Amino acid sequence: MSLAFDILLAVGIVIIAATALTTRDRITSVAGFVVIGLLVALSWVRLGAPDVALAEAAIGAGLTGALLLRSAGRLKPATRTTLSPSYRIIAALIATGLAGALVWVVYTLQGNSLYPALVSERLLESGVTNPVTAVLLNFRAFDTLLEIAVLFVALILIRIVAPPPPQPVATGELMLPFARIVVPMCAFLAGHLLWQGASEPGGAFQAGALLAGAMLVLILGGFAMPTPRLMYWANMIALSGLAVFALAALGTEALTGKLLLYPNGTAKIWILVIEAALTLSIAATLCLLFCGMPRRPLK
Amino acid sequence: MTPDFIYTCAGSGLVGLALYRLATCSDMLLRVLSLNVLGAGIAVLFLALARDAGMTDAVPQAFVLTGIVVLVGVTGALLALAERIDGPHDE
Repeated sequence: MSLAFDILLAVGIVIIAATALTTRDRITSVAGFVVIGLLVALSWVRLGAPDVALAEAAIGAGLTGALLLRSAGRLKPATRTTLSPSYRIIAALIATGLAGALVWVVYTLQGNSLYPALVSERLLESGVTNPVTAVLLNFRAFDTLLEIAVLFVALILIRIVAPPPPQPVATGELMLPFARIVVPMCAFLAGHLLWQGASEPGGAFQAGALLAGAMLVLILGGFAMPTPRLMYWANMIALSGLAVFALAALGTEALTGKLLLYPNGTAKIWILVIEAALTLSIAATLCLLFCGMPRRPLK
Repeated sequence: MTPDFIYTCAGSGLVGLALYRLATCSDMLLRVLSLNVLGAGIAVLFLALARDAGMTDAVPQAFVLTGIVVLVGVTGALLALAERIDGPHDE
């Protein structure tokens, strides 16, 4: 029974991907992409990765979908270029060959991963009981620090390129009741995800994405105007994540002599402080990625 | 037929489709979209590999989580650049 579900889900993902990538209508493409994201998230629940599934549903499907929809209306459709049929056939053959090779390589890979044993052995020292959070914020915290740095770079790029902010258009009567339910729910769920990320699926990224979604509802619904003052604070909050994380790295370096090696017994507090800062920072960053930053007028 | 194998096939399918579109499409929005589909396909392959003998492997899961967040940053930056190329030039 569950096997039939897996096959149906896998076939559905590939068919919707084929539709989304070949249709001429951009809105259909983006809608297809969001559906792929949600179905892929479902498949990851089946594969025993609920943390990642939450992140994919919120960030991969939700916020990326919102970004693509924003740009769908702004980008000019490409001038139709006629590719020779032989080029298309060669591209299709190479892509099919590569996909086939991937299946073969992944399926014939032998040997077990070393990580599960190592992670479960040291999990008690990590301060949290969710192995994914332990890897992200303790064992491989340096990777996560650099990941936040990548978001920071993206933010700088947005600041330089300065895409125009989205103009809120008149929304229907149901927008306000919708926002009244959804926004507090998102804020509540974000806090819940952040806290339970220590022991259950959840964490800073999922919580931050939810908060960002709530903010987008407020901005697109016209309830929160992106005034210069608000933008200033959004910028500060977005930068605070990297600042707190970098300070924590320097602090642990001073206390223990190793970058991001938390002092004995205090790992949980360090992780919680970093995660709380990251949640707010990721929410603000994702929001600014969507809204862009208005240019300062030239003097 | 195990779930691992089924989702390996689905992930490879996504990678193949995305690569084909990246090679044949000149529309910038669809290219960014294909890039995201490619990312999702690779993540599916990673997670199918991570599910090994009952024990879930947290390290590939953390990689994929990092990848998702980096990809949204890249998407935002790419779309802003694409709009800059396409949009009205105010200089």
